[in-house]
Amino acid sequence: MIYIYAMNKEFIDKWHSQVKKGTLSFIVLIVLDKNELYGYDLIEKIRNQTSIEIAEGTLYPLVNRLKTDKLLDSKWVEQETGIPRKYYFLTKTGKQTLEEMKVQWKNLQKLITKLM
Amino acid sequence: MEEPAKINHKANVTNMEFKKLQFKISDAQRIYENYLKQIKSATKKLPREDQQDILMELNSHIYESMAKKNPETGEVTNLLTVLDRIGVPDEVLKPLVAERKLNQAIRTFNPVHVIQALMLNLSYGITYIIFFISYLFIAAFSFLAVAKLFYPSSVGFYYKKGEIFRYGVFASNDNLQAFEVLGNWFIPVTVLFAFVFYFIITIFLKLNGSLKSVKNDRLGKHLSPDTTVEGHPIW
Repeated sequence: MIYIYAMNKEFIDKWHSQVKKGTLSFIVLIVLDKNELYGYDLIEKIRNQTSIEIAEGTLYPLVNRLKTDKLLDSKWVEQETGIPRKYYFLTKTGKQTLEEMKVQWKNLQKLITKLM
Repeated sequence: MEEPAKINHKANVTNMEFKKLQFKISDAQRIYENYLKQIKSATKKLPREDQQDILMELNSHIYESMAKKNPETGEVTNLLTVLDRIGVPDEVLKPLVAERKLNQAIRTFNPVHVIQALMLNLSYGITYIIFFISYLFIAAFSFLAVAKLFYPSSVGFYYKKGEIFRYGVFASNDNLQAFEVLGNWFIPVTVLFAFVFYFIITIFLKLNGSLKSVKNDRLGKHLSPDTTVEGHPIW
């Protein structure tokens, strides 16, 4: 009965997806804090910087929710090509919320490191 | 397609004209326009402004994605890759449409929007069921208050300790009539009940975090599962 001693992959996968789900809005806020981005660029930036692949079907509802929560705002910017881009950026509340999230993240990290 | 220069000009989605992309190959054009139709159909329950906003945002997404693709792969293949990544509009827009619809329902309190929002959101949990039941109560109490004006003798609160407890409309109620206890007070009391439920909804939707957790659950379903390589997370 070797499998008893092996790590539970299914559990790890589930846990991983929960962690990812829980940190995705944090990641989006961090990336948008550095520069205003439109949806496509935001997905690319996150992919390049973290290797996290966010589906479009995840990203757009997420930024929409962050807008409803008043952490983000957006603006349409006309382009020479005639296809305008919708840029997302942090509101003042968003910036302050992000600062608090960073503090709590660091605290959690310390706490867990101490436990381990 | 080359990197477009940015014009510093803020625009409002309502007065921007939607510009279709032009493809060189007619099959690509057909696939693209078919996809636009699917977007429009998936968002038709939303206010015009939201429809336009979603259409233009996805159009921009397609445009930006295409601009980064290698033209040698061929327009049709590239377009299909891009559209596959976004997904079928009807499925992929569901959470977004449900959320925007709910925002609209909360904003307007219009029964048509509320019912549509509920149909879209009902599967997402108990929050909406409570919202739905409260909304039904508001509708029922409002109806009763008006009905009392027109049919004062058939509407009321009939009460006899331990035997009768009826609140509402009863067509043939000669037997009940003697037990009507509120008289014309029925109207303000009923309106008050409607307001109580209205406040339950308002407080519930505006203060309760459970709505957010419902949305988070929904979000989870759309996380792409292809983020693990050989069983290890990439990050």
